[in-house]
Amino acid sequence: MRVSLSTHGGLAAGLRLGRPPSTVDTSALTGAEAGELTRLVEAARTASAREGTAEGVGDTMSGDAMSYEVTVDTGIDRGGPVVLRQTDTSMTAEFAALLRWVQQHLPQAGA
Amino acid sequence: MRQDTTRQCIIPPHVLERLLESDDAAIRSAAMTTLLTTARLRGEREVRASLVRLAATGQGRRTVFDCRKSTSLPMCSLARSEDGPPSADLSVNQAFDGLGSTRQFYQDVLERNSIDDRGMRLDGYVHRGVKYNNAFWNGQVMVFGDGDGIIFTDFTASLDVIAHELTHGVTEHTAGLDYHNQSGALNESMSDVMGVLVKQWSLQQTADQADWLIGADIFTPGIGADALRSLKAPGQAYDNKLLGKDPQPAHMRDYVQLPDTDDGDNGGVHINSGIPSKAFYLTAVEIGGYAWEAAGRIWYESLRASTATTEFQAFADTTFSKAGELYGIDSAEQQAVQAGWDGVGITVTAEPTTMRGSAAPTGTDSVGDVLRHLAEMSASIDALRRDLQGQAVGGGRPAPPA
Repeated sequence: MRVSLSTHGGLAAGLRLGRPPSTVDTSALTGAEAGELTRLVEAARTASAREGTAEGVGDTMSGDAMSYEVTVDTGIDRGGPVVLRQTDTSMTAEFAALLRWVQQHLPQAGA
Repeated sequence: MRQDTTRQCIIPPHVLERLLESDDAAIRSAAMTTLLTTARLRGEREVRASLVRLAATGQGRRTVFDCRKSTSLPMCSLARSEDGPPSADLSVNQAFDGLGSTRQFYQDVLERNSIDDRGMRLDGYVHRGVKYNNAFWNGQVMVFGDGDGIIFTDFTASLDVIAHELTHGVTEHTAGLDYHNQSGALNESMSDVMGVLVKQWSLQQTADQADWLIGADIFTPGIGADALRSLKAPGQAYDNKLLGKDPQPAHMRDYVQLPDTDDGDNGGVHINSGIPSKAFYLTAVEIGGYAWEAAGRIWYESLRASTATTEFQAFADTTFSKAGELYGIDSAEQQAVQAGWDGVGITVTAEPTTMRGSAAPTGTDSVGDVLRHLAEMSASIDALRRDLQGQAVGGGRPAPPA
């Protein structure tokens, strides 16, 4: 499984412009870590559906709010990679937990 | 007088619209006053129940909340209030003081009573998230991260950043510039302009003494960057291996066409803002002295006269028109405005292409001006309603969604 994160906008949007997504390769994770990631992804997906913050839908209308796109590619999902996208102003607690985990496991957090 | 108002309210709107086209200035004025009064009364009916509480909590009172690394703003705790003692937390005090300086600037320099010109409370949230590299305005409050400690440090460290975020609120309550493409770039530029002006005013610096930088104090030491952006030299705020090169253009010939998507920065709102920001810098330096006095006033009045879809050309035309209104036709200030826009490749025209009235209604206003007055009032009512709804959810203070 591969999990990638794209971060856009914000007060420092110029620094983020055109940067490729950062990726976590779960083959380098322990079994416990991979299990935790799977749990966080499912929780974020469920919460997004419940809250109506569906995939690809976000709110970037407020000044300097950032948007985040987490792409989860299991390699076996018939529907293709799962894409979760939320913003600073419309973020579920579950997505925030997933985002925090991904950011902690990225090789370079960046701006 | 009250009897007159009541009688005017029962006149059908289509009749009033016809009267607005009358050749008689007195009739036009009376019709416009009636329309404005009707809209005002309609708005009052919708929000009257909550106005008492709003008035009691207004006056631009500051409250700072500590998020303790949470991203859920309703979970954040009170850290400092307007009448409370200073905190032991530097970020709390910096946010509190920065909001206070910005509030004072708007009051003393631009005669504006807080974000909404009605004494809206100023709520700041600090320590948002873990290593959060951002600050933002969410439509109700201002939120500040601590930075990752690698590139960025505490986002409350720059007064201009705090003023930048608060100005997003001012823009939302005035022109309401759409956060996309050129109108979005104007929105960002206005926040940068007011950000540097608050800093210059605080330091009592003249235009030629100021650094014209946004975010100079939020980079970690040794990162090799001057700031996030430079109004004096867009595109030259940073250039190194870690951060890349500052992508802001300083001239229309270098305008960056980006998609109106998240990864395109909504059409480059933080990128192309360099163009109107440079025009402001050139104008202010040409006028000389304190930039907040003439140049700042012209830009602020132009913001108030703009609409959600105003683009660079229309805004340039409006600044030119406002400079003439405020300082005289062909005055040094108006010439400086023209030269400022010339410097970024925009030639001002004699008449603003899109502008709404910001002065008191008069019998000589056009129908378009009247309608824009009504639109402005409607936008203000909508913003007020959103504020009240947010406060109702939060039990007396805004309860932002994230």
